[in-house]
Parts: sequence; C-alpha cells; structure tokens
Amino acid sequence: MTIGSFILKNALRNKRRATLSVLSVAVSLFLLVALQVTLREITLPPEDIGAALRVAVRNKISLANPLPARQLPIIERVPGVETVSPFTWFGGKYKNEENMTFAQFAMDAKKLRRIFGEAKMSEAEYRDFEETKDSCIIGKLTAQKYQLKVGDRISLESTIYPCSLAFKIAGIYSGTIDDRNMLFHQEYLDEGCGTQGSVGMWWLKVKSIGDMPKVTETINRAFANSSAEVRAESERAFQLSFISMMGNVKVFVASICSVVVFTLVLVSASTMSMAVRERLRELAILKAVGFRRRELFALILAESFGLAMAGAVLGIGGAYLLFTYGSVPKMTNGVFVVFEVTPKIMAIAGLVASVLGVIASIAPSVSVARMSVVNGLRTLD
Amino acid sequence: MALPLKYNFRNVFVRWRATVATILGVALVVAVFVLVQSLAAGLEKASRNTGDARNVMIVRKGATAESSSQVTREQFKTIKYLPQIARDAKDQPLVSADVVILISLPRHRATNGEANVLVRGITPVGMQLRPQVALVDGRWFAPGKREAVVSSRIGERFANCQIGETFKTGGHEFTVVGLMEGGGSAFDSEIWVDADEARSVFDRENYSSVLVRAASPAGAQELISRIESDKRFPLRAVMEVKYYSEQTRTAVPIKVLGNLLGTAMSIGAIFAAMNTMYASVGARTREIGTLRVLGYRRRTVLAGFVLEGAMLAGIGGLIGCLFALPMHGYSTGMMSFDTWGEVAFQFRITPWLAVKGVVFSLVIGAVGSFLPAIRASRLPVIAALKAV
Repeated sequence: MTIGSFILKNALRNKRRATLSVLSVAVSLFLLVALQVTLREITLPPEDIGAALRVAVRNKISLANPLPARQLPIIERVPGVETVSPFTWFGGKYKNEENMTFAQFAMDAKKLRRIFGEAKMSEAEYRDFEETKDSCIIGKLTAQKYQLKVGDRISLESTIYPCSLAFKIAGIYSGTIDDRNMLFHQEYLDEGCGTQGSVGMWWLKVKSIGDMPKVTETINRAFANSSAEVRAESERAFQLSFISMMGNVKVFVASICSVVVFTLVLVSASTMSMAVRERLRELAILKAVGFRRRELFALILAESFGLAMAGAVLGIGGAYLLFTYGSVPKMTNGVFVVFEVTPKIMAIAGLVASVLGVIASIAPSVSVARMSVVNGLRTLD
Repeated sequence: MALPLKYNFRNVFVRWRATVATILGVALVVAVFVLVQSLAAGLEKASRNTGDARNVMIVRKGATAESSSQVTREQFKTIKYLPQIARDAKDQPLVSADVVILISLPRHRATNGEANVLVRGITPVGMQLRPQVALVDGRWFAPGKREAVVSSRIGERFANCQIGETFKTGGHEFTVVGLMEGGGSAFDSEIWVDADEARSVFDRENYSSVLVRAASPAGAQELISRIESDKRFPLRAVMEVKYYSEQTRTAVPIKVLGNLLGTAMSIGAIFAAMNTMYASVGARTREIGTLRVLGYRRRTVLAGFVLEGAMLAGIGGLIGCLFALPMHGYSTGMMSFDTWGEVAFQFRITPWLAVKGVVFSLVIGAVGSFLPAIRASRLPVIAALKAV
C-alpha cells in the first residue's frame, strides 16, 4: 500500500463524514463565490463596448429633475460632440404588474444607431422605428418574457407623467449588455404627455476618447449659473454614481462574506479534528511502528487538504457552471443580467479552501504530537 | 417513558470541542439571518411609524413616489375648501401643499460619492400636521430665506449638513439653521425648507402632494371617496398612515436576501450538526445499548437524540442572537426604492426576530440530528453492548 492510497483510504473510511465535510465546504464556497460576484456586479457594473465614447448629461440638482429642451443646440455645438439625443425615463408600468420590470426611455430615434450602436436589429426594423412616430423597440429579453413580437401593440402607464401611451413594436434588438430596455420617440412622449420643452437627460457620443474630458468640462461650464445647471460625465462615471447612491450595501455584503468564511473554517476544522480523534489509536500504532511526527503531520494535512479541495471543486465549479450556463436574469428575477464568475473570484475562493485545509489540520496535528503512544493505544473513543 | 432531558443535555457538553464548533457555526448562521432581517425590520418600522392617524394624503394617481407626484394649483384650491377638512382656531383649513424634490448631495466622506436626499418644501401648517417632527437644535427656517432644517440622521451622513454650514444644489445655496428628529419615522430622512422658497428655487409651478387634517374619522373617509370619485381630479387620496406603510418596496428584497442567505448557510450548518451528532452516536454506542437494555424504546432513543441535536443548535441560536444584539439601534442608510432618496434607518432586532432566529436554529439542529438519531435507535442491542 502506497502512502497516497493510505491517505485516500483514511479519508474515505468514514464515507458519510467525508461526504458531509466535502458538502459543507462546497456549500459555503458556493455562497462565497455568489456573494463575491454580487459585490463585483454592484461595484463594477458590466460595460457596453460603446460606453467609452458616451457621455451622460443630467440635471445637477439630481437625476429626478428634468432639463430644458433648449439646451440641445448649445450641446450640439460643443467641439468634439458627434451627436446628441434626449433620453427621458418614462417609468411605465406594463399591464397590471406591481413594479416596473423593464425600463423605457424616450429618445431621438434617428440618433439611436449612432449613439447606441451595440443594439442589433435588421435594417427594415431600424427604418420602421425611425419613420413611425408611435413605434418603439424592445430588448430581446423583454420580448421573450412577455412573448411580444414585431407588430404587437403595447400600452404603458407612466408613474412619472400623468398619462398612458400606446406603442407599436417596430423592432426587437439584441447585442447590448442589458437587452431589456424599451426605446421610443421623444416627440411621441411630448405630444402624448405634454412634456414639450423638457427632457430627462441628454446622452451624447464624442468623436474620440481624447475628446471626452474636454467635452464634459465644456458642457458643465456652458450651463453654470443658468437656471438648469448640468452634470456631464462619462457613462462609466454615471453608472458608478448609481452605485454610490446604494449606500452601505458594499460594506454589508463584504461583512457577510467574512462571516461565511469564518463559519466555514470553524466547521471544517472541527470535522477534521473529529476524524483524527476517532483514529488516535491507529495513529498511536503508526507512531509505535516508527513513523515520525513529521510524517504523521503530512498524513493529516494531506487528508484535510484533500477534503477541502474536493469541496472547492464542487462548490466553485458548481457556481461557475450555474452562473455561466444557467439563465441569470431568470434566477435573480431580473436584478442581475450578467453574473460573471471571474478567474480572480475563483482564485480567491480556491485560496480560502486551501488555507482552510491547512488550518483544519493544525488542531489534530497538535493533539497527535502531544499524545504518548501508550495513551493513544488506550483511547477508546 | 421518555429519556430524562438531563441525560441529553449533559451529553451536549461531553465532547465539548466539536460541540463548541458546531454551536458557534449555528450561532453565526443565526446571527447573519437575524441581522439581515433586522435591516428589513428597521426599514419597515420607519415607514410604519410615519404619519398621523387623522391626516389624509393626496397625490397624483399612478405616481409611485411623492417626488414624481403633481398636484396643480387649481386642484389645490378646490381641495382646500372641502367641508370635511378640520379648521384651526382662526378658522383656517388645516391643509398643506408641499413640494418634494430629490437633490444630489455628497456623502460625509468624500470618497463615498453622492446620493439623493429628499427635500420637502413645507408650510407652517404642514409642520403642524406632522407632530412627530421636533426641532432638536438651532431654529426653524425663516420664510422667504434660503434656510434649511436637516434631520439629524441625514446630517450625520452627508457633508455640509451641520448647523451653520451651507450645502449647494444646482446653483443655489441653502444654509442649515437647525436639526430635527422625526422619532424614527420617514421624516428622519428628509431636509425641510420653506415651501415657497423651494418652489422658486427648483422652478416648480405645481405642488407634489397635499396633506390635510380631516375633521373626523368619518370625514376622512368621505374626503377620500369625494376626491377619488371626482373625474376632474386625477388624484389619489389615502390615509397618511396607510400611504407610508405601503412603502415596502425597499424592505422586500432585503427580506428575500436574508432568507436566501439563511437557507444557504443553514445547509452548511446542518451538515456540521450531522457530523457532530454522528460522532456523538458513534462514541456512545455502548451507552445506547445500555439504555435499550434498561427498557427505553427505540422511538424514545430517537426522540432523545433529535432533542439533543435541537438543544445543541438552540444554544447556538441563542448565542447568535446575542452576537447580533449589539447592532440593535445602529443607524445606517441606503437608497429607498420607494422615494428614490436616501433612507436613514436603524437595525431593529425585535423579540419576534429573535424568536424566529432561535426557532430557525432548532430546526437546523433537529434536521441535522435526525439521521444520526435514526442510526442510534436502530443499533442492535447485543452488538451495541459489545462495542468498545
């Protein structure tokens, strides 16, 4: 019998305990990975390809305050700006749903392709959307969720404006990071809800990345001391400002992570020492036969490390498979669209598992080292 | 005959190392569960604790937040003189039309970015209608001046919000002249300024909401049906207390998260409890044999071991509640999905939550010890007695 098979036999001797230990490590690591991914998603939201060239302009008071439509020509004239579109949150409720499940924005349909080029639709769909004032386009995920198709009519009641609007679906797009939104004509909103003269935000595209800082600065300065001061910032900065609004969520998730890790260490360490205590007698025999302490430590360490790693493979691998191949929007009820298990997160979880394997072997190793052969042979436990 | 409880209770402590680890494991699971739920409880408490039972709140139909609601001046004029509204000593109706605006303010530590805060432009009558709010420091704002009174909890969380300081929004500056407290209500997350001043600064022609004091409870119901049935008004009237208690959109996802975390972690804890109990059963094979010889029945042994597991985890549950307890009353804040502004609230570990936590731990213990208990009860007597 080789040392390797001896360790394996020992680890699996009490199959029930081995299974339970591996499973408890796996469950905890799964949870750890899920929490880490959540933390990453809320602090670093996924980015569209075109985001680097996009600028969001909002009212400086807050996002909830509108901007005057007369700002458009001034922004258009800023050097470095390629194209500008209004972008107004409609906050519509679909059918009798309690909460909004997808966002709707009013914009300038003709600018869509130039600003949000990621949205892929057929040429006919694009043209139909641009030409029909009461039309809208919706993301693929929303279309699937409500089984909507091109040509259908939908009606939404706004929670922001005192009106409802009916739309004809001109196209279904895909290819953006979040294929859920609905887009329609600002003109249609103005006529239907009497919002002429004001828009929610401006979104614009700059000609090159180098233009970005100058463009945002010029726009901010252009409206300083006017009745509607603005904050222009890159799409990334705009997204991050949302996260800062969330408040203490980050601290919260991080502290739960550490509690999970601590619990994990505790439980596995206790299991390991149980396994060793059960065979104190055998270890005493090994000692009597002439195995040295060092070798016994290695045996215990290898067993505990092996169990922890088995748990890691199961837990981390399971999380990876579930979040990569499962339908994340469905699982999280639309809260998360992407739930990317990055190599870094897997590495962190793997590291936790290996540290765990080492820590769990310390206590039993100490008791084995202290034990005298005679006492060990006498143990009945 | 049932096993003496003492037997199982004392056994919990015989193999103390494994037991302590299991107890602590369960304690941490319960602590996380209780803490997350106490966040939701704090949020709910803040919304349920808001409003005066005599007041009726009027907002635009379909508006989900006060800041996106609109009541026009004509609508306000009509509402103002409805007969069901109570009047003060000078025979003026107790009606207040407020303006609610979300403004973006930097947080206390500059690195934490900005967040939205609810600013309420309020009239003297409006303050009278909200007796929960009291000034704790400084003075109230003077009409016609750009002065603000900040709730002390918002003052702690945002920069430039202490007395004498000035915060800027858009191009306008407000000087903080007082701090108020709303007694744990939603008003603890607001900044109050003069109504007319707010309307001019933020360029609002209309009001956001109207709050009225009904002359009598019957009057309140009449008023509600009067406004709701009037075709000219696209308005919704509701008791103020009900309006706020319906704001649960923020607490629900937290509760879901708490349950998810609790469930996932408890699975791990169940495995740990199982391990401990199996080891305990294995070590006591002879004892169990003896008990059976003495005449204790299989199901008695089974019940005894399940009880032992539940006790073990129950102690963990109690300790978990103790772990969580220091957080009780700790103030925190996050974005509300109801008002879209920062809501300041406190962790609230209610007795009911603690009971839930302990019951949760008992379930973990009972489930975790069930299989080991079955094994104990099925041990053949003779073999068990022979075991070393």
